[in-house]
Amino acid sequence: MNQTDEVALELQQIPWFQSLDPGDVRKFAEISSLRTFKAGEVFFREGDKQDFNYIVLSGRVALDMFVPHHGKVRFYTCEPGDSFGWSSVTPVVHTRTAGAVGVLDGRVIATDTVKLQALCDQDHDIGYHFMRWMTNVIASRLMNTRLQLLDMFAEPPETKADD
Amino acid sequence: MIEMNPTIGSTVALRKAELDLLLADLRSNGYLTVGPHQQDESILYQEIEGLQDLPRGFMSEQGPASYRLIQTGRERYFDFIPAAQSWKQFLFPPCHLLYSAHKETPGEQIQEHAADTREIKAGKWSVKENDSPAPRYALVGVRACELAAISVQDKVFLRPDYYDPIYRARREELFILAVNCLHPNATCFCVSMGTGPRHQGGFDLCLTELDDLFLVEVGSELGRSFLAHRNFYLPSAFIQTAANQAIGMAASRMGRSLDTSDLPGLLIENLNTERWNQVAKRCLSCANCTQVCPTCFCWDAADQTDVLGKHTRRERLWDSCFNPNYSYVVGGNTRPNIRSRYRQWLTHKLGQWKAQFGVLGCVGCGRCITWCPVGIDLTEEVAAIRQEVKA
Amino acid sequence: MTTNLIEMAPYYAGSTERLLLPTWAEVVKITPEAEGVSTFALRFIDPEVQKHYRWLPGQFNMLYVPGYGEAAISMSSDVESSNGLVLHTIRHAGSVTRAASRLKIGDVVGLRGPFGSAWPLKEMEGMDVVIACGGIGLPPLRGALYSIIREREKYGKITLLYGARTPKDLLYPNEYDDWVKAGIEVQSTVDRGDETWDGRVGVVPMLFYHVRVDPHKSIVIACGPEIMMRFVIYESLARRIPAEHIFLSLERNMKCGQGFCGHCQMGPYFICKDGPIFPFNKLGPYINVEEY
Repeated sequence: MNQTDEVALELQQIPWFQSLDPGDVRKFAEISSLRTFKAGEVFFREGDKQDFNYIVLSGRVALDMFVPHHGKVRFYTCEPGDSFGWSSVTPVVHTRTAGAVGVLDGRVIATDTVKLQALCDQDHDIGYHFMRWMTNVIASRLMNTRLQLLDMFAEPPETKADD
Repeated sequence: MIEMNPTIGSTVALRKAELDLLLADLRSNGYLTVGPHQQDESILYQEIEGLQDLPRGFMSEQGPASYRLIQTGRERYFDFIPAAQSWKQFLFPPCHLLYSAHKETPGEQIQEHAADTREIKAGKWSVKENDSPAPRYALVGVRACELAAISVQDKVFLRPDYYDPIYRARREELFILAVNCLHPNATCFCVSMGTGPRHQGGFDLCLTELDDLFLVEVGSELGRSFLAHRNFYLPSAFIQTAANQAIGMAASRMGRSLDTSDLPGLLIENLNTERWNQVAKRCLSCANCTQVCPTCFCWDAADQTDVLGKHTRRERLWDSCFNPNYSYVVGGNTRPNIRSRYRQWLTHKLGQWKAQFGVLGCVGCGRCITWCPVGIDLTEEVAAIRQEVKA
Repeated sequence: MTTNLIEMAPYYAGSTERLLLPTWAEVVKITPEAEGVSTFALRFIDPEVQKHYRWLPGQFNMLYVPGYGEAAISMSSDVESSNGLVLHTIRHAGSVTRAASRLKIGDVVGLRGPFGSAWPLKEMEGMDVVIACGGIGLPPLRGALYSIIREREKYGKITLLYGARTPKDLLYPNEYDDWVKAGIEVQSTVDRGDETWDGRVGVVPMLFYHVRVDPHKSIVIACGPEIMMRFVIYESLARRIPAEHIFLSLERNMKCGQGFCGHCQMGPYFICKDGPIFPFNKLGPYINVEEY
């Protein structure tokens, strides 16, 4: 079995891809590859120019940012089924806004996003499907971020009444 | 002495001087007689000894943010409508010591056992719980709305699962000398709330005042036993009719009304109407209304500690949902502004109270209207909300 | 959900005559749990009270620090697991709880209670249970966890979803292995981690994405910041768990503990007496009205 077949097989386990027809799944698989990683292995760093979108199959990957006086802060971890690296898919951002590092040994599917862009431009059905998936990923990340922003576990200030 | 035994439910007549003797009788039986007394251009409820302490010859005139006494020169004792104070201060004292505690330091003299306290050792703390006996009150001149308020507070403080021991001790021994109102003021709306002006039971004795005499209705065995020693006589049919007419007239001359047909739903289901914003602009959150209201029951318990932290007194105090930090928990305040607090008060009083206690919390006494410094009138607020919602 | 305390808690520290007066207890052990959080083990001074005192997981005491005041604190164990000692895990945040942080072994505090409704252990029998909590929300649930573990066969799949701000704020971390061994699935997370943390980073409601939930036989019990609970409700409802099977522990300014002083009211409920544990279907109309 070649790389593409292996990838296609993995994609078919992922619920989101189960509603694509097999031909389209294969097209997606052709522009992707399987990678294993070890804990501590760096996928990319903040500021890198790197055009891959990843889907975690096993293990755990942490996303981090360097904050002066705080060091490297891990603000999210991706579990099996999660996707990261989507900033390479959205048109505005050109470089990585965060870093990604393996935390527990595992495997990912890495998709070349330049080729993915071309595929979506060419085949709008695949494009629509992929964008819906991305919207979902980003929405759930946004919800997570909002709650982190509210910092609900922090020490509350000594607030009293306004009037 | 007439050889007659007044039965419960019957009505007899008493010359006014006999009331003096009745009060003396109550006092010699261990009751603390409290009633209205004219002072500070108002009427206060305090200890009274006899007729001479009652406000003789006064009527009252009330409106939003206004209370005035008018001298009539007549020999009548109950023509006024009560002022800011209600009887709740006797059953539910505004400030009550729960216990005091003293932290012993080595080598210190142990203090003498104080009277009316129960001593408990708690580690380094020596705790003296307030064990003073509850006074036996005889309330003189209780209006129908006020008696209704007592029965509303009974539902709050005397529950089958828990009761408040302070309230119960005072309530159990209470003697209620009630009075039917004959001259309602502009802020009265007891008829709307179904609480008056005529008393419907729950009292020991109930007076209706005429020029020369009191009609006295016997409400209980306790009332009967005190009345039996007095020089009473059978009232003529003419006198009974005159009294009934006077009460009937009072019922038709209410100063205000409140339509309760769509309560509690009207308020509970409309928590975001514009009216709440408007009343919030006028309300000062001063808590006057909750203090004068005879059914409001919120309280706080707080430690008063000396600077060295060695001696503390824990007291139970009246509190108010208008207090800015009433709903404060570490991390925030769920009602940080006047709008939310006023809304809580009104939607509780005329709304959620029903779900909690089976009745609405308002008895139509009008005190909150009279004693609000800016004259907010809850009958007007409810009507305005109703109009806004129906529009 | 019963509100009849006499039925639920066979013993009460003092009769209703002593409702407003504390019963005195000695601090026998203090365990620091995390920054600003410690667990106090208390024993009543009166051996008769200590012998008979009982509570149900989810209930709370009014803890009195002499000279400072009272705070409502849930018990953080069930009766059997702490051998009758009353355990309270306290976050030292307000004036009373900060005074508690200065207590030493042998100091005496006052307790009034137990008050409030309990976690619906009876309803949970035969069901899968998702225990969702964050920060200081875990202690009130720990008693329920111990009760479940003691009679594990009565319940279905049990999943604990727990999160805190940082790895240092996770409570009782040395107990997680015991819980896993006892048949509980433990999923933890933190809001932010550092390079030494190889666990999950993300908010508690996100943990729902890693749990298989059967809406026909699942109950969710939750305790934590109200915002977190709001999202736990969203995630539960999104998975079609019925509102009457989602239980929350609410917090308001509780003072008397028995529904007399008025402070803790929300809508028609006295949180101290009708709650603090409510099924979501009872809260629906009130919980989303701003500043109500």
